[in-house]
Amino acid sequence: MTFNVTEVLEIPIGVGSITVESLLYFAVILVVGVAVARVVSTNVRRALMERLPKSERELLVKLVYYGIVLWALVIALPQLKFDLSGLLVAGGIAGLVIGFASQSVVSNLVSGLFLMFEHPIKIGDGINVAGVSGSVEDIRILSTIVKTHDGIFTRIPNEKVFTSNITNYVHNAARRFEYQISVRYEDDADAAIRIIKEVIWTHPFALKSPAPSVFVDNFGDDGVNLTAYIWAPARNWWDVRTSLLWQIKQKLEENGIEMPYPQRTVWFADELKVTTGDTGTKGAEE
Amino acid sequence: MMFGRYNDTFRYESGDILVETERIGGLLTYLRRCEGQTFERLLVSETAEIVINPVEPVNLPKEITDYLLMEFSPMLIEPGVTQTVYLKFPVEVGVFLEAARDIEVLDVFGLGTQKYTLYGPPTSGVIARWYRSAVYTEVPTVEPFREGVMELSIQNASHEWAEVSCAVFDSVDMKIYYNNVVTTTARMKIITPTMAETDFTDAPLRPDMTRSIELYTVRKIPVINRGYLMEWGLS
Repeated sequence: MTFNVTEVLEIPIGVGSITVESLLYFAVILVVGVAVARVVSTNVRRALMERLPKSERELLVKLVYYGIVLWALVIALPQLKFDLSGLLVAGGIAGLVIGFASQSVVSNLVSGLFLMFEHPIKIGDGINVAGVSGSVEDIRILSTIVKTHDGIFTRIPNEKVFTSNITNYVHNAARRFEYQISVRYEDDADAAIRIIKEVIWTHPFALKSPAPSVFVDNFGDDGVNLTAYIWAPARNWWDVRTSLLWQIKQKLEENGIEMPYPQRTVWFADELKVTTGDTGTKGAEE
Repeated sequence: MMFGRYNDTFRYESGDILVETERIGGLLTYLRRCEGQTFERLLVSETAEIVINPVEPVNLPKEITDYLLMEFSPMLIEPGVTQTVYLKFPVEVGVFLEAARDIEVLDVFGLGTQKYTLYGPPTSGVIARWYRSAVYTEVPTVEPFREGVMELSIQNASHEWAEVSCAVFDSVDMKIYYNNVVTTTARMKIITPTMAETDFTDAPLRPDMTRSIELYTVRKIPVINRGYLMEWGLS
């Protein structure tokens, strides 16, 4: 007795015109689909391990897994003589409706993924984005949470973050800030510059390099205007900025150098006469 | 000598430094004064030992970096030559609470002032604790608790003369030994005239020295002897 595989494969299973062969194809496509889904979802989980919180990561992994399995099912179903044309029309219309409805959600999701891979901001960074200044509290799939300097919770959709100009104040290791300091015209500007540099030197986080720069910037109405450029670690610059200025003022005053007060010299064309009541002219002063 | 292990109460006072523990009621009080600054903690412990030893000098006035930049007189080094020199490096003192199951940092203090600098460009450089030292050919005399001795072996592995006036180290793999002097041993391998690798070696300068407990081990930072690649110049 001979065993013909082709004949076996063509045996109908008794449901419509489905044969053993088409049933086998259906099973193979489905098994391959599930295997691919597992491999891809495992790799997605691994890739997002340190980028996403567990709840959001698992949600995304499940979406990927079931998406691939569904795709395999759609490919496999015609083997069982399922006519998907009706499903495709219905799916197309449903897809169109869902697509329009979820346009912003998908846009935020994709923007969130780009943010996670491009890394323009990290949790804890001080940023300004879409007009909101503060520190990044969390970067989620759909939105970024920023805590403003006043401690206000602000949720910004990722699409807005991604398409806005992002200013990250701490991305670089160091940043520069400046002071405008005025001294009187009669004060020694060179001495003032030396004293300011000495005060800057005493602060641990006023960086030695790039070196601070202090110079006479311009001559103002009331005094000589000095400018000081100081570099500090990006994450500590505010502490440096707030602590140094008062120290500079105190040290200058200790050395007899003071801030100028607004002043104006008035010259009179004629003699200025001072009169009191009915006693007539008492004297004259310039 | 302040460094060592202490059980229960002790007192050390020298110059501007006072470190003591005293038992008041059932509680142990730790008190430290250093250059006018005071730190005090109540300790609830039955078995813990207090360990005081030198630690990586990158924690004061607060921890913002792991890097230490040593600046010294410029040296021109011939290709292929290896030279060992001695530098003075800043010392910070760490106080640890050690129990059978865990060790915890209690206090870090130090004498003198600190200064930080940027090594490399602002966009990709690193902030580093800055310290300037003269170059010595023999172990120099140092002020206790303020400075230690770094043995630095500089090897010019490039084919050109190299000018060196600074060395940047990642303090995370710094190994510190002490007895009456604090020491560390480091290497600097010049790859090109503008690039070098630096790292620390786990070796005491003298045979009778004690190894310090480092802060990074207490903070449980996993480290694989990583060293540092100086890619922004050597001077």
